Amino acid sequence: MSHPEQIIPHGHVLRYNLRERLTHWVAAAAYIYLLATGLAFWSPWLFWVALILGGAPVSRLLHPWAGLIFSAAVLQMYVMWAAQMKHTDTDHAWWKAVKYYSTNQDEKMPPAGRYNAGQKFLFWGFFWSTVALLATGLVLWFPEYIPWNLRFLRYVSVLIHPAAALFTIGLFMIHLYMGLFAERGAFGSVIRGDVSIAFAKRYHPAWYKEFIGESSSPRK
Amino acid sequence: MTNGWIDIKNTDMMLIMGGNPAENHPCGFKWAIEAKRNRNAKMIVVDPRFTRTASVADLFCQLRVATDIAFLGGLINYTIENSRIAKDYLLNYTNAAFIVRDNFTLPEDEGVFSGFDVKKASYDRSSWNYAGNLPAPAPPPAAKPGQPPAPTPLPPLPEKVEYDLTLQNPRCVFQLLKKHYARYTPEMVERVTGVPKDQFLKAADLFTSVRKDGDMKKAATIIYAVGWTQHTSGTQTIRTAAMLQLLLGNVGRAGGGVNALRGHSNIQGATDMAGIFDNLPGYLKVPIPADTNFDAWIKRITPKPSKPAQWDSFNYWGNTPKFAVSLLKAMYGDAATKQNDWAFDYLPKVDRNYSWVQLWDNMYNGIVKGMLAFGMNGVAIGPDTRKNIDALKKADWLVVGEIYPDETSEFWKSPGITQEEMKKIQTTVYRLPCAGFAEKDGTFTNSARWLQWKNAALPVPGDCRLDQAIVAQIFLKLRDLYKKDAGKFPDPILKLTWNYTDQSNPSLAEVLKEINGKTFVDAEDPATKVQLKAGQQIPGFAWLKDDGSTSCGNWIYAGSFTEAGNLTMRRDAGDPSGLGVHQNWGWSWPANRRVLYNRASCDLEGKPWDGSRRQVWWNEGQQKWVGNDVPDFKADSKPSDHMGPFIMNPEGVGRIFAPLGAFADGPFPTHYEPTESPVDNLLHPKQTHNPVAKVFKSADDKYGSVKDGYSIVCTTYRLTEHYHYWTKNNPMNVQLVPEPFVEMSVEMASEMGIRGGERVRVSSARGEYIAKAMVTKRIKPMMIDGKITYQIGIPIHWGYRGIAEDEGKTAKTTANSLSPAAIDPNAYTPEFKGFLVKVEKA
Amino acid sequence: MSQATLRVQKISGHAGTVPGQDTQREPTVCKLIDTTTCIGCKACEVACMEWNDLPFSETVFGNTYQTMPETRWNYWNLILFNEHEREDGSLMWLMRKNQCMHCAEPGCLAACPADGAIVQYTNGIVDFQQANCIGCGYCITGCPFDIPKMNPKTHRVFKCTLCTDRVSENLEPACIKSCPTGCLHFGTKEDMLFEANRRAKQLREHSNFPNAGVYDPRGVGGTGVIYVLHDASQPEIYGGLPANPHVPWSVKLWKGPLKWLGNVAMIGGLIGLFVHYLRYGPKAREEEDIAPGGTKT
Repeated sequence: MSHPEQIIPHGHVLRYNLRERLTHWVAAAAYIYLLATGLAFWSPWLFWVALILGGAPVSRLLHPWAGLIFSAAVLQMYVMWAAQMKHTDTDHAWWKAVKYYSTNQDEKMPPAGRYNAGQKFLFWGFFWSTVALLATGLVLWFPEYIPWNLRFLRYVSVLIHPAAALFTIGLFMIHLYMGLFAERGAFGSVIRGDVSIAFAKRYHPAWYKEFIGESSSPRK
Repeated sequence: MTNGWIDIKNTDMMLIMGGNPAENHPCGFKWAIEAKRNRNAKMIVVDPRFTRTASVADLFCQLRVATDIAFLGGLINYTIENSRIAKDYLLNYTNAAFIVRDNFTLPEDEGVFSGFDVKKASYDRSSWNYAGNLPAPAPPPAAKPGQPPAPTPLPPLPEKVEYDLTLQNPRCVFQLLKKHYARYTPEMVERVTGVPKDQFLKAADLFTSVRKDGDMKKAATIIYAVGWTQHTSGTQTIRTAAMLQLLLGNVGRAGGGVNALRGHSNIQGATDMAGIFDNLPGYLKVPIPADTNFDAWIKRITPKPSKPAQWDSFNYWGNTPKFAVSLLKAMYGDAATKQNDWAFDYLPKVDRNYSWVQLWDNMYNGIVKGMLAFGMNGVAIGPDTRKNIDALKKADWLVVGEIYPDETSEFWKSPGITQEEMKKIQTTVYRLPCAGFAEKDGTFTNSARWLQWKNAALPVPGDCRLDQAIVAQIFLKLRDLYKKDAGKFPDPILKLTWNYTDQSNPSLAEVLKEINGKTFVDAEDPATKVQLKAGQQIPGFAWLKDDGSTSCGNWIYAGSFTEAGNLTMRRDAGDPSGLGVHQNWGWSWPANRRVLYNRASCDLEGKPWDGSRRQVWWNEGQQKWVGNDVPDFKADSKPSDHMGPFIMNPEGVGRIFAPLGAFADGPFPTHYEPTESPVDNLLHPKQTHNPVAKVFKSADDKYGSVKDGYSIVCTTYRLTEHYHYWTKNNPMNVQLVPEPFVEMSVEMASEMGIRGGERVRVSSARGEYIAKAMVTKRIKPMMIDGKITYQIGIPIHWGYRGIAEDEGKTAKTTANSLSPAAIDPNAYTPEFKGFLVKVEKA
Repeated sequence: MSQATLRVQKISGHAGTVPGQDTQREPTVCKLIDTTTCIGCKACEVACMEWNDLPFSETVFGNTYQTMPETRWNYWNLILFNEHEREDGSLMWLMRKNQCMHCAEPGCLAACPADGAIVQYTNGIVDFQQANCIGCGYCITGCPFDIPKMNPKTHRVFKCTLCTDRVSENLEPACIKSCPTGCLHFGTKEDMLFEANRRAKQLREHSNFPNAGVYDPRGVGGTGVIYVLHDASQPEIYGGLPANPHVPWSVKLWKGPLKWLGNVAMIGGLIGLFVHYLRYGPKAREEEDIAPGGTKT
């Protein structure tokens, strides 16, 4: 879609369009709610979180609904981005050089496309975890309807659900770290959508090259 | 019961047949479990299906409905063949050694005893007698003008009976018994009952093991209920059990006896107080038209001792005149005097059968015009529902006293009656709301003969009235009418005593006092020197006189409400002997004795057979019988006097052979098939059915046979979760068992393609019953004389009015739509168990 | 109030210690059910309904004498009937009173995430506190006996309370009181085990049940409800009584190693990221892309 009225500051390029940003924030809001209430159910030390979020029974009631919203958002992300998240040779080389990335020696990294290997890992990590969380979540939402002879479904779910959630928490912590602290300018990309050309050249050179191969006007 | 509920805990061996106490008497059944738990007592259950009782039994035998006499006869045969007899007991406490008259013959192949008149379908029982010094037969009494000729009275028992203590005389009772039951071999038992021979032998060996090698210490009990009584040979079934128990020496023993489980909380009280047409309170025999005056009546019903000359017999029924006069004084007070024959003329003379089924048949035939039905759902509880409904349609009026609208009180709503038909019914129906059991005080007499007073827990709600208030108000109104309009013979109504403080709502405590009885004059007991003042309650029936100085509403209840107070209210749980006697809890008849015939618990010297369960014994120092229970005996009769323990029999001993008029169908029981049977009688095919059972005939009395397509044997019974027809109104019970069902075997269901839960139609020649099938392993197909026979069972608790019925969830049929109006000739109980049906998908 | 607090020894989903732990010298209570003398009369079912004022529920015919297929949120006590054929061809009609087993190590309590929704008293009774229940149903998964049942409208879970209200007043549970055959007994665990073993021995020696025994499963640390079985080697024939019940492995893993690992990982992760930032700071800032002299590229 094109938004001729969208104003990109001089020296910036559009990285994420409105649909992508909205999807991200719907997912983010749902995830934060799921994280907060989920941690309350995970640990007695954090049970108070459910209390301040409207009470524990309310949290138990809304957690699965937030899960559905989150799953829908992730599904939308899949539709939007899955094609761009395929593992390439560049990604292979990126992982080999990851110690440079983590010590902020970004100039030594192979040229990443729109998404680097780490971001692709985040994407697939969240996607498959969401699949697991949704499936086990449905079982945990209606445990009283699972008959005794299918109880193995419940047994599997109580283990996989928190395990998958923990995995997403790990991903989430790194995602927040990268987006808020490590990569300046990244946060703006998911608010207004644009990043500076310097940002683009530094972190996603291959994508930038592809980008300027076309006109400098915003594209979809 | 001869014994009691709690006494069951003292037993070593239980035979439970014709009864399902775990199902229908769960609280009393506790004592059977106690016996198992504390004494390692063994339990044998013999039943057409594997019941709740069978689930805790040590041995279960499945037998064909209505073949209990065959099984018990087999046990008698086994006992004799294997010498498992209580020898001394048999010789001295029963009539086994008595010689029987020469002209008495056993049924053998003919299937009938001597004296059977085919035309009249009845017996001349005069040959059923002992040999001895019989007086010349009395001439028959002159017929009263306008009356049918009086029946020839039976000869009396001989005063001195011939006997043979070696038991070798071929005419002695024992030899005749042996010969009669020699036909009941294990093979025959298998052919008739369907119990495989090895199973039967296992049961027989186990049950009779109490007398193995002459051991007299152990005691075995037989426990039964309406699985035995609800047949055309019901009474004789119980007889067979009693004979077996006498052979084994179990009657009178703690943990022994012949024990009927009464089916309602106060039906024992009902029968004690003569809720039956042929008894007066205390089991006095009613007068018949041939009793032209009081003396004739008394002479006929008062037995004289009949025994070996050297023996003694208390013959307690010899005191009948005292009981009878005292009863008449209670009923008519000052209006009963020596001069007017104690108001004997006021008593109705019972000229024919007025039993339950007969009454409904009379109503069906227009003879009975109206009926008061108190807590009695005749349409549902009686045999052949359709006939009973048709009978009500013909009645002028019906009064129903109930706590819920039931099938009888809404008989015009039964399925199948059309709107047009309803309009034609002329019966006026009055529905009186009555009080429920928790709203009434008074006594219940339980199976153990214990009278226990209960207080009302709740007030009577709304417009409901107490039963006694309703009866009293009807009586007072009738009396007023008789006062005004005289009528043919008003005296029995006008002169009836009715001295209650509140005449229109008599206090049951006052009624119990009246039943207990009092003395009109100062009196003293010569033995104990106890004195009574005029007007005081008598302490027991030993104080009753035949000179009109005492009154007593029921001699067996005398002692229940004395000057000490209402003894039925006592609740002292003390039991020093540990035998479960609880002397000071309630009051049991007679005279607070808990185990009847307890003298038989001792040997000839008066020493208990089993020292660990000492009930009574002879105390040489005090020269009287003493014990942990009240001795059921003449207290000062020395053992050497050889007085028999069975003090209510003229012989003083137990009757292995029941002479003369004791039973309508034989002095020994023999197996007869039920009215509708799948086979001929294998013991004597010439006489398949009970020749003197009454089988009603009418347009509504139809009977079916195998060739009509009715090849499945059906029985009916109750469930723990429901109580007859009123719990279908109670949500709790309905929740526990919500729908009617028919129990059938896995094999039969599979053959007919019926799955559990599918609706089936069961039909007999009389009607149909529709319910869901319960397919179960607990009823197996039986091999009867080599042929596979199926049995099914139907719990009775549903009809056309109740919670589920009103919601249209059931087919609204009654179980007794299927059963026949065929009754036992002694107790007139209908044959609810053991008739033929067919089953199909509905 | 304080007395009541001290009588609790375990609390579900609770952070920190349980105040009442080890404070009471109270014996564990125990209900003994002798299946060999149960006649399935359902007096205990009715007593439970009456004492707890449970509302009636719809039942339908199910080709059995059993009142309903399984316990419900409003029906806590159910006799299970099973027609079982022995090897010698004889029939047994087994009747087992089914209700909460009041495990010493309750799976329901272990699985429950809600603070105080499930408690275990010092006498061993396991009690649901519906006011604190969040309706997640984890207890259903934690229980090896399929006991907790959820009210679909209110989303609260219910089960037998072992009549803790009666027991607190020194009365026996309602079911015990109502049992007409004395098949049910109530007392201390020690006394009931003694009686149960005595009865099992009697069955082995006198009643032709060589495998008679006591059911007091170790896998849940023993139970507050024990059975005498005719055949303790085949508990399943008694309406599916599990032979070796225990808290499900996945629940144990979740509440044990996974909990530990997860907490360590999350806290470790937070600390790790903080330290990483201290050490390495952010990636190159935008300003560094401005050429010397101040013009942006």
